[in-house]
Amino acid sequence: MDDSSVSHHNGGQVGSQIGVSVNNKQNDEPSQSVQYSIPGILHFIQHEWARFELERSQWEVDRAEFKARIAFLEGERKGQENLKNDLVRRIKMLEYALKQERAKFHKLKYGVELQQGDVRPPPEEPTSEPEHAERAQWKQGRQLIKQYLQEIGYTDTILDVRSNRVRALLGLNNEEIENPNYRNYDKQQHDRCDYSMNHMVRKYDYGGKEARKSTGGGGYNEEGLSVQETAAVFANFEFLTNQEMDMDEIDDLDAKQSHHICSKKGEDLDLEAEEVLNELSLITEREADGGGQGDEYPVGGSAGGAGAGAAAGAGAGEADEEPLALGELAQLTVSNEPEAYDVASANKESFRKTWNAKYTLRSHFDGVRALAFHPTEAALVTASEDHTLKLWNLQRTVPAKKSAGLDVEPLYTFRAHTAPVLCLAMGAPRSEECFSGGLDGTIRVWNLPPPTADPYDPYDPAVQGAVLRDHTDAVWSLAAAHGRLLSASGDGTVRLWAPRAARPLLATLRADESPSAPAPAAADFADAAARAAVAYRDGSLLLYDLETGQAVLRAGCEAGATRVRAHPTLPLLVTAHEDRHIRFWDAVSGRCAHAMVAHLDAVTGLALDPNGLFLLSGSHDCSVRLWNLDTKTCVQEITAHRKKFDESILDVAFHPLRPYIASAGADGLAKVFV
Amino acid sequence: MADGLQILRRNRPGSKAKEFCRWPDEPFEEMDSTLAVQQFIQQTIRRDPSNLEAILKMPEAQDEGVWKYEHLRQFCMELNGLAVKLQAECKPETCTQMTATEQWIFLCAAHKTPKECPAIDYTRHTLDGAACLLNSNKYFPSRVSIKESSVAKLGSVCRRVYRIFSHAYFHHRSIFDAFEKETHLCKRFTYFVTKYSIISKEILILPKLDDETPVGESEA
Ligand SMILES: [Zn+2]
Ligand SMILES: [Zn+2]
Repeated sequence: MDDSSVSHHNGGQVGSQIGVSVNNKQNDEPSQSVQYSIPGILHFIQHEWARFELERSQWEVDRAEFKARIAFLEGERKGQENLKNDLVRRIKMLEYALKQERAKFHKLKYGVELQQGDVRPPPEEPTSEPEHAERAQWKQGRQLIKQYLQEIGYTDTILDVRSNRVRALLGLNNEEIENPNYRNYDKQQHDRCDYSMNHMVRKYDYGGKEARKSTGGGGYNEEGLSVQETAAVFANFEFLTNQEMDMDEIDDLDAKQSHHICSKKGEDLDLEAEEVLNELSLITEREADGGGQGDEYPVGGSAGGAGAGAAAGAGAGEADEEPLALGELAQLTVSNEPEAYDVASANKESFRKTWNAKYTLRSHFDGVRALAFHPTEAALVTASEDHTLKLWNLQRTVPAKKSAGLDVEPLYTFRAHTAPVLCLAMGAPRSEECFSGGLDGTIRVWNLPPPTADPYDPYDPAVQGAVLRDHTDAVWSLAAAHGRLLSASGDGTVRLWAPRAARPLLATLRADESPSAPAPAAADFADAAARAAVAYRDGSLLLYDLETGQAVLRAGCEAGATRVRAHPTLPLLVTAHEDRHIRFWDAVSGRCAHAMVAHLDAVTGLALDPNGLFLLSGSHDCSVRLWNLDTKTCVQEITAHRKKFDESILDVAFHPLRPYIASAGADGLAKVFV
Repeated sequence: MADGLQILRRNRPGSKAKEFCRWPDEPFEEMDSTLAVQQFIQQTIRRDPSNLEAILKMPEAQDEGVWKYEHLRQFCMELNGLAVKLQAECKPETCTQMTATEQWIFLCAAHKTPKECPAIDYTRHTLDGAACLLNSNKYFPSRVSIKESSVAKLGSVCRRVYRIFSHAYFHHRSIFDAFEKETHLCKRFTYFVTKYSIISKEILILPKLDDETPVGESEA
């Protein structure tokens, strides 16, 4: 009992400079002796002054950090907007090219306009202008294509659906996609198609750029595409290059696009376009870790573009793609642009700083089982074994009189559960709601009080919303997305809810009907909430289609799982296990892409940052670890909580918008790091 | 990586409610956590919530301040259960003031100037205030040693908390009885404050409770 405790705030601010592990050990001294002497007092004053200076500088550092963060986020937003516009533009171009290919195929097959195929400007001379005579023929061809496009009903809606999907894939999509067309597709195929789209975009882009070089003139030299590389590309895209004249058309389309989507056009757009491509190629590379088959893609040294392979393979039905071409293209993209990693590195930059404990949330009487940040505000909700949930506003701190440390008092205490609260999920932005699941088997909907609420306001029963009672045992995991809720319970089922509906239970998912079936430990929405990833206590991992309620993928290992998270943009699932491992799964093939010993004890908490670049994990070994998802390396380790029995950290979280991370512990505390 | 020879006292996601914290007891001497006292108290309650003597039998060489502090934390925590039940029935329209017998109206001390809060607000504010105080870094920075001056603060918390029991007893008797049957909390609390002379006997206005307290008639 030499370790005297929980007083993080007395020593806390100094400690926070050094890190939490120090922080925890620092508290033994204060207020042990009460003998005063002049040197003692002087020393004390000196010490205090130094401390205040430190705190002040810490504040200044924080302020600078926040400013930088704001600037960065603003930049990022702008970038993403441009990216989005550009993607839409490119996808339209891509679709167009695809149709051309088909048109050509059609022509070839039925012998119409067969002579067109003979017109073939040599790829190594892309700058040559088409002859006038040829132009006439091309015009004819164009007419035909137009006709064909109309015939097949090549409508904007299709384009929109696809662009939405791609944006969703890139995590740019905030609004819900509610397009009926989308619903009609077989999801899985659709998915694959999306991945292949990435490649198509890239693939096409190079063809397109070259072609535009020929028609529209220079401006692309800075890209440094060597003649050989160009030739290689063209060798693979003869269709595109053949019909160079059609690039006029595309340019038209392009211009039209620019007209109503993006008023900005020109070189900087192309630079952005490159960024888009780079990001896409980056995705492919990461995906590479998640895939299962080929090594034919020597992409940037990573484990061999299996994801790309799978995607390309799957995409073959949609378009005549050659994996080899993709490989070369991928290589091209990466090798050409050293700034390929700009987007990522900018994000990394914001995380490169060391996270320090800033707020300690103390008010729960027992272990904190779960926490969730407010979707936008600097606020969070914690759920505890003391049967309550508490709402905290990090911007309404109570400066503790003596230590200038930041104590946060809860804004509101939610009481309704009749047993420990085990899990939490936050509703969508602006919905101001959260959901909690408890050992009592209930799921409760809560209307969050405003951040200005006073903890000692009169009791407002309207805070309590609906109660979902279908589970017959403890509810251990909740995930919310698009107004729906996914819960995993000790009763062996995973349930899908529309929590505000009159009949809230939408579906019940069971691994199998046998009574000995393992219970789900955790569930998360995956694939833009079209599927549910469920990790079971026996280590199996199932992916359910939420339309049909059927398991579409079975994977897993022997070690009991505790958590599962779906990557926000990639078909990647991450699971935490009792055997100290974190495992990464390809959500398409079900292959275990990577497994690593992540902690010294069972891994109990997992969170992915909103950009999908970092992973946060917590464990009963008392530490929180931050991982770079790309390299799978630990970026920071923080010792955050003490043990109660053999439990320590029970949950971790990222703020969806702001630079906060948090941990919840069996010691009854929650900590927020900045 | 679970069991084997070593017992791991932890709750695994996906387990059944009836398994929750149902692990073999750990001897107090072997608990090396800073939360040992809480662990020990909860373990004893779980074994038999009605065995007041066992629950309130302080281990040898235990710091009494910490012992009392941890028990009070446990009381306030379990009182959340009573508050949940009261929320359904104790309305500001019917219980406009915090009363037990008609002798006193209790003012809510959670506000800058004490206020005549309705009973349900008094209950919630008192529990919230207690959570605040008992988790205050200023008064209770440690859970293994507590200053004498801070131990003195426990008395006022106990007095206010007792009023929650008494309001429930006199105004929401069926709730009180159901809750008491399940938790024996009021009995334990009375035993606790008497044993450590935290509240003077005159304030303890509830008649002596025993297990055969009849359930029913919710009347003052
Ligand atoms: Zn009442
Ligand atoms: Zn009050």
